[in-house]
Amino acid sequence: MEEKLTTLPGAVSLINDGDVVALQNMATQAAPMALVRELIRQQKRELGLVVLVGGLAVDWLAATGVINHLIGAAVTMEQFGLCQQYRKAVEQGRIKVEELSESLLNARLGAGARNLPFLPSRGAIGTDLIAQNPHNLLMLDDPFGGEPVVACRALVPNVALIHAHRADRFGNIQYEPTAMWPDIAIMPKAAQRIIVSAEEIVDSEVLRRHPEKTILPGFMVDAVVEVPFGAHPTSFYPDYGYDSKFHLDWAAAARDDTAVRNLIERFVLGPENQQQYMDMVGGVETINRIRNWEQPG
Amino acid sequence: MTTDWRNSPPAENYGVDELMVTALAEYFQDGEQACNGMASFIPVAAFMLARLTHAPELVWIASSVGLEPRPERIPASTLEAPLWRDSIMYLDQYTDFWNFVLNGRWITKFCVGAAQLDQYGNANNSIIGEDYHHPRVRLPGTAGLADMCSIGKDLYYWNPDHSPRSLVEKVDYISGAGYLDGGNTREQLGLGGGPRAVITNLAVMDFHPQSKRMRLQSVHPGVTVEQVQDATGFELLMPGTDVPETRPPSCEQVRLIREIVDPNDMRKRGMN
Repeated sequence: MEEKLTTLPGAVSLINDGDVVALQNMATQAAPMALVRELIRQQKRELGLVVLVGGLAVDWLAATGVINHLIGAAVTMEQFGLCQQYRKAVEQGRIKVEELSESLLNARLGAGARNLPFLPSRGAIGTDLIAQNPHNLLMLDDPFGGEPVVACRALVPNVALIHAHRADRFGNIQYEPTAMWPDIAIMPKAAQRIIVSAEEIVDSEVLRRHPEKTILPGFMVDAVVEVPFGAHPTSFYPDYGYDSKFHLDWAAAARDDTAVRNLIERFVLGPENQQQYMDMVGGVETINRIRNWEQPG
Repeated sequence: MTTDWRNSPPAENYGVDELMVTALAEYFQDGEQACNGMASFIPVAAFMLARLTHAPELVWIASSVGLEPRPERIPASTLEAPLWRDSIMYLDQYTDFWNFVLNGRWITKFCVGAAQLDQYGNANNSIIGEDYHHPRVRLPGTAGLADMCSIGKDLYYWNPDHSPRSLVEKVDYISGAGYLDGGNTREQLGLGGGPRAVITNLAVMDFHPQSKRMRLQSVHPGVTVEQVQDATGFELLMPGTDVPETRPPSCEQVRLIREIVDPNDMRKRGMN
């Protein structure tokens, strides 16, 4: 079997400027943040981003000029507020947004995964999302005589970035407890290439004990990297919760470009590897806090 | 858990957040399914309260992922753990949840918050301003709202900040279809369901059966009709009779909210 194990720089070097990148993320949950930091360190440019609900990762990528368009259903850090750097970039026209409802995004990705020209949905009929986006969404009469549907054009991202609980060196990927969100269940399956960071790389024999937990087969995966706490500061259920202190510090700084540059310098560009990054964000104390699923007041 | 909520007298000391929770809870009954999305403390509190009182058989899908959860209390996120603690099933959202929702047999009601809501119940969570590509304010985005509004659900809007900024004559962008231009314009597109009620910090509104314009249903205790109209960006229709008062929470409902459902006061977030 082909070896897929590589390093963070090696994995991210597979991504080209101008690529459309599908990113796992549900607000404060489960984003492949170590891969996102490496995108910024390698100064990728003019990337498009596909997200279901983008959070802090989108704000970092907007603040550092990595992305110039976004296809998605929402961008927010939920209780930590709107992503202010993203918001400013959109308001100034530096990032174009193709806004889709969840069912329309799922349909576009589902069509992409199955090599269909489109899939239909009944979502969003009557909204401005459809007229806004004639290139990808069109009202279509039901050929069988029922009510009209929305035809959602296939979306095939160049690459999907995900973070998983464990993998073997051949790129077989396991996830806990199930593939709950579409960012795992369909997004990578629509993409041309898949890059995975995993909490741990294990022997294939470990995966064989629970084949029901394997969500992606090695033949679909292009690169796999071992990154403990690779989703920090987002949560990674059931292993660790989101880092509320980190999110609060970012939210407090995010309207001020100088403060943003300082935080990016310190946490994204400064640390040379994951160990240095984890030390920088508080080391053992932070690890104990997020492992206990601390709840901000 | 058994409580004497049925015979409990009206509370004298309660917050408008608690009144919004009890007013919303009334719409959810045994045998129905409810789900919630992000930052939805008022709906989550309403579902949890309904299950402790009048609707123990209301099925709740926490974060639209965790079936029948048993959270200790409402946490700081309504989109993730530990809200879905002790679930009986984790739904794979792409298949299970969206199949349930789009099928139409289940989850017939949905609670929604919107940055702007207009006189015909059209909702906007996308942009403020004239130019979509250069908005004055970029809002989070429609998420599942545009779907829920177009697939036949009965929609219940909650709004903790009743103001001319959030209740507008016409939304800047339709990211959730209400009654569109009123009358039968929604039906003409083949859309069932639609906005049923709007519960704010001042009043409860519904929609006129023919014109589909927003109509005052009740004002909260201590609030006048004039205050509600002044805080609304368009002319509200009035009910045929005198405007009644919204029923206040009972003592037992307030106790359950404060002690069992939400001792960390998450429901107060976003209140004025």
